[in-house]
Amino acid sequence: MKSLLLCADGIIHGDVRQDQSEPLWRSSLQRLGIVILFGGCYGATMGAFGGVGGERWLQVLYAALKAPFLLLVTFALSLPSSFIFNALYGLRADYAQVFRTLLSGQAGLTVLLASLAPLTLLWNISTGGHQAAVLFNALMFGIATVGGQVLLRRSYRALLARDARHALMLRLWGVVYMFVGIQMAWLLRPFVGDPDKPVAFFRADAWGNAYVALFQLLAHVFTR
Amino acid sequence: MIWLRYLDRVLRGEATGAAALRNGDIEQPAGGLTVLGAILGAIYGLCMGCYTLFQGRHASLLQAFATVIKVPALVFLTLAVTFPSLYVFNALVGSRLSLLSVLRLLVISLTVMLTVLASLGPIIAFFSASTSSYPFMLLLNIAIFAVSGSLGLRSMLTALHRLTPAPAASPLPAAKLAEPVAHAAGPLEPQVGRQVSREVRTVFRVWVVVFGLVGAQMAWVLRPFLGSPDRAFSWFRPRESSFFEAVFYALHHLWR
Repeated sequence: MKSLLLCADGIIHGDVRQDQSEPLWRSSLQRLGIVILFGGCYGATMGAFGGVGGERWLQVLYAALKAPFLLLVTFALSLPSSFIFNALYGLRADYAQVFRTLLSGQAGLTVLLASLAPLTLLWNISTGGHQAAVLFNALMFGIATVGGQVLLRRSYRALLARDARHALMLRLWGVVYMFVGIQMAWLLRPFVGDPDKPVAFFRADAWGNAYVALFQLLAHVFTR
Repeated sequence: MIWLRYLDRVLRGEATGAAALRNGDIEQPAGGLTVLGAILGAIYGLCMGCYTLFQGRHASLLQAFATVIKVPALVFLTLAVTFPSLYVFNALVGSRLSLLSVLRLLVISLTVMLTVLASLGPIIAFFSASTSSYPFMLLLNIAIFAVSGSLGLRSMLTALHRLTPAPAASPLPAAKLAEPVAHAAGPLEPQVGRQVSREVRTVFRVWVVVFGLVGAQMAWVLRPFLGSPDRAFSWFRPRESSFFEAVFYALHHLWR
């Protein structure tokens, strides 16, 4: 537990040297642990919007499971193409370090999220509207994503110094990750359970495509 | 296992790197790569087939099975149709590559394409499982085929530039896919050499466009890949419409 917290501290300080002295599997496991622990903390806070009494504690549990799941599955789905693109652009030799860096970025994002959890808690206690709560959480995720990008760029600096083509790979990773992540977040709704609706792990009407929904919304707005 | 090592060599660019091409020929055997490429294509086909599997309609298993077969078939049939013209073009611009070398080169670049396809497979499978919109899946698949196809062809262009008797096969890493080969021309013919090289490049660019068009048309002949939810399963569709009309139609219907 203590080593996990120390590792998390190292990640947000961009401490690369400590990271590289460890074997890949160990540092990967630590980062996985950080994502599950810190992501779970934020998820639980998010899910606690509807209260914790009665059946509602289940929503807290679901949200705590879903937040790390969202990040890790998106990461896993985007990884194969990232590896192949890096190999094709001749950066295969650096991939172990790229992998560490990307996974550290994920872990850093969840640490940031968890640090914002008290704000969400305050929001949950002080306001009542479900829509507003969803927006507030989206804002928190947005802030954490921007922060995660900053961390990622900082730890990419060594790679970039070695080869400028890493910049393209980083951008590509961002595009693919966002493309998958948005759809994943859409599928995993509800995160902030609506207090007026029954507790559910998945919402029956959530199964669909985020982009199609967006297109249809746009079409609806413009063809009115 | 040895095939995987071949694949690794291809991805690292060693198979078409300066060192491997020093003799002006490609020595990478293509048999194993063909099998491996077919497997990678089948993996992508399975991911694509998730769409019909998760729609849970009649004969969805059969449609998924058909897709698994059709993706490698699409790639290798396109190869068969375009191979003779590449060989002839290649001879016209003055290359002395043997028939076998040109074939190997094409198989190598198609393997690059199939590897990129397969690596994007998990994403397609995920979207297939969660999307019911047919036009969206159609366009997403076309986009992914376009991305992987252009990467495969770029790797081929780079190798061809290295192999054409332009001034020198400079020892660039395979990685510099897009960069035109910076050649250290001989002192006597710097400009001539450059001109030839530009013509060669044009010829190959034209050929790449031909390859793309043939691929699109072949995909149209082999359709359905995804299986439209409105139509019953069949191995092939009757002659109708065209690839580009269908893309336009899908773009239009995405907004409905």
